[in-house]
Amino acid sequence: MGRGTLVDGRLGSKLAAMILHPCPDRELVLDLDWVMISRSAIDSLREAVGERNCVTEPEQLRVYECDGLTSFRLTPAVVVLPSTTAEVVEVVKIARAHGLPLVPRGSGTGLSGGALPVPGCVLVGLARMKRILEIDLDNGWMRVEPGVINLEVSRRLSPDGYYYAPDPSSQSVCSIGGNVAENSGGAHCLKYGFTVNHVLGARVVLADGSVLDLGGPVLDTPGYDLTGALVGSEGTLGIVTEVVLRILRKPEATRTFFATFPSTDEAGHAVSRIIAAGIVPAAIEMMDRLAIVAIKAATGVDWPDVGAALLMDVDGPLAEVEHTAQEAVRIAREAGALLVRLPKDEAERQTMWKGRKSAFAAVGRISPNYMVQDGVIPRSVIAQVLREIEGLAARAGLRIANVFHAGDGNLHPLVLYDARIHGQEELAEKVGGEILRACIRAGGSITGEHGVGADKAPYMGELFSEDDLATMALLRCSFDPEGRMNPGKIFPTPRLCGDRPGKYTPHPLEQSGEAGRG
Amino acid sequence: MTSPFDAPQAHEPRSVAEAARVMEQLAREGKRVAFVGGGTELELGPVPDRIDAVVRTRGLGRVVEYQPADMVMVVEAGLTIGELQAAAREHRQRLALDPPWPDRATIGGIVATGAFGPRRARYGAVRDLIIGVQLVRADGAVAHGGGKVVKNVAGFDLPKLACGSLGTLGLIAGATFRLHPLPEASETVVVPGLSAAEVVAMVSRVRAAQLEPAAAAALRGPSGYDLALCFEGFGKGVEQQTGKLRQLAPSARAAEDAWTRHDEVRTGGPLRVKVAAQPTQLPEVDRLLSPLGLRFAWYPTLGLGFASGAAGEQAAALIADARAELLRRGGSLVVQAAPAGLRVDRWGPPPPSFPVMQRVKQNFDPDRRLNPGRFVGGL
Repeated sequence: MGRGTLVDGRLGSKLAAMILHPCPDRELVLDLDWVMISRSAIDSLREAVGERNCVTEPEQLRVYECDGLTSFRLTPAVVVLPSTTAEVVEVVKIARAHGLPLVPRGSGTGLSGGALPVPGCVLVGLARMKRILEIDLDNGWMRVEPGVINLEVSRRLSPDGYYYAPDPSSQSVCSIGGNVAENSGGAHCLKYGFTVNHVLGARVVLADGSVLDLGGPVLDTPGYDLTGALVGSEGTLGIVTEVVLRILRKPEATRTFFATFPSTDEAGHAVSRIIAAGIVPAAIEMMDRLAIVAIKAATGVDWPDVGAALLMDVDGPLAEVEHTAQEAVRIAREAGALLVRLPKDEAERQTMWKGRKSAFAAVGRISPNYMVQDGVIPRSVIAQVLREIEGLAARAGLRIANVFHAGDGNLHPLVLYDARIHGQEELAEKVGGEILRACIRAGGSITGEHGVGADKAPYMGELFSEDDLATMALLRCSFDPEGRMNPGKIFPTPRLCGDRPGKYTPHPLEQSGEAGRG
Repeated sequence: MTSPFDAPQAHEPRSVAEAARVMEQLAREGKRVAFVGGGTELELGPVPDRIDAVVRTRGLGRVVEYQPADMVMVVEAGLTIGELQAAAREHRQRLALDPPWPDRATIGGIVATGAFGPRRARYGAVRDLIIGVQLVRADGAVAHGGGKVVKNVAGFDLPKLACGSLGTLGLIAGATFRLHPLPEASETVVVPGLSAAEVVAMVSRVRAAQLEPAAAAALRGPSGYDLALCFEGFGKGVEQQTGKLRQLAPSARAAEDAWTRHDEVRTGGPLRVKVAAQPTQLPEVDRLLSPLGLRFAWYPTLGLGFASGAAGEQAAALIADARAELLRRGGSLVVQAAPAGLRVDRWGPPPPSFPVMQRVKQNFDPDRRLNPGRFVGGL
């Protein structure tokens, strides 16, 4: 099997984390591809999940070497595909006994490298745990396993007139477990919130093999909101094996419009004025010229070539949406809309949304490679930051397509490049980093819905102070003191549990009152 | 001593930096600390074990940043929610949160207790509206979590961890919220005289009819429950929804005073109890609470209710029985306030995830100096 030397187990997650970071040393990571685990660990894992569900063949392992962020790749030591909570517990216990790090994975559609393997890890694929366990329409919840596909949830509820609100663009393939890990959003979270607002509880297997039930169908379990802390923790606190989701009655009506503008300035202005008018759109999405070109090439929608387009949904009680849709259209026209198109039926509406949701993939039609960013900025500075991004692109000589959730200022600049041209990938990465810095300067964030993962961990120190990160680590250590769960993600440097993150140690003179601090 | 919060030492920092210095000083001296905002929920939880010092937040009363176009407000912890709403109202906005005692309840206290009102039905709880937090840790370090943008998944969600943590993890010194537009119109309709089962059935019909009340409360009175539903939004939408409701329930009538009755239940005492169950379990909840003879308000879409009034002779035993039944059904019962002399467990048994909660407490407050013993399971 492979090259290199057999490293028996004791690589340890701390070492793995140190090896993985800092991220710029990617070459180093690749060099450590050879780390393997002992025969006895593999035998135990096989026994735990069954021969067929334990992947050790190099070609098969390669399937799991990256998630949706394909520029980072690392082959896991072994992949297990458990089908029950009990099997996950067994796997976690075996990993612990052999000192191996664990990396959970859903559908592998994440865009921040959250499911990127670390050297010598046991990758836990949860795709086989895809049962819908319980549905309670009257009380508005359902219980599912983590491998259930996001769209499958709403599909299952649809005949009864219910749905699950978070709708990431990848919803036809991404899993609920992955959504929980990343606190996924989607176009409609402007009105309805993110995954964290729709998860009532979870069953989670901790790094020590214990099984915990957090929250549940009944609200306000006394104690800390550990469910809130778990959602969005990117697999660093435990492996989720069941999720209780909040489900909603479908709104009575939805009105959609598509509007074009000479540039993103006018489109951004329209967004601001619609929101200032007291309208809370269900979704309001913006696409710039390059994104429109790509979407047209990929999907065949008959959108005109213009500087910018908005796609907006309002939903709710019929009279309310009739009114708000009319108002929004009027405001869009006043703000300089060139054309406003209302879908004539549900099929046309779906086509419009399909255009928007396929934007990332569509960009593949106009560029051999691209890199997605996920920065967030306050809505009031959208135009300013877009111009900054334009400047960055011009200076680098790269094209950037912009597709974004305009209502909440969540940008998705797609930096286009050609990996075959020497140095362009690095250049694109550099431009991506500069975009994130522009978002931080504008008072925003480095990620709105894709997660920090391995990709953006190096920027965490620019967004948060050392004290902020140390405080987050306190939470991490409460769940996983050995740092075994998905090490190397989120945090810019490995953090060890046990050292108290003291602010400072007072000098004895200070304690005795003989000296103070200015 | 009239209150456990009359500690030998009191501090009233005027800035977050000063609060951090105070906390650092208290850490050095090994002092046990409690935090006091508007003092509306001081009875929540058992009396903390020996408190040496109290940090009052009323000196932290500023709106730090408010950009109406972003509908985001950054405030200090000592600001009352009433003051916050007044600042937002100037721009036809609001924080869509309506806990009791708005003129006294401070933002820090609301976050620490997870306080809410009937609008939670539509807009969610504090945890759903908070987007950033500033926490002064036990050692005096100031930590920020979240940020100033509504959509943000960078790092662990410290704001949510702070919600309902009752001052056991640190001093909540400031918070950032997403705001909502003030509705153009608002109208409350009451469906009177329903049994508990009829409340459940009516709520189910309201949902089936795709009505979207902003707030809902079933108020128990002498002739059954009065179900109050508040509709908010643009005039035409509110008109359509109230019209539709009147078709569903011909006995429905306008009654804005329902919310005054509701507020009386929420702020009543000396015994005040919060119950949680599934929305359809109202008949059982009703049966369990009736013997206590308290006034009762139930949020029928949330499955949360509040009861208040005088404690009868059997109160302690009845509460214990009701709690046991609710726990068996996956719910909970918290005694939010109790008259002196009523010996009753405030939180009930800790939840299954308690071992992790203990470790969270241990890591954030290793010397157990922050509100010790006041939270679930003696945290």
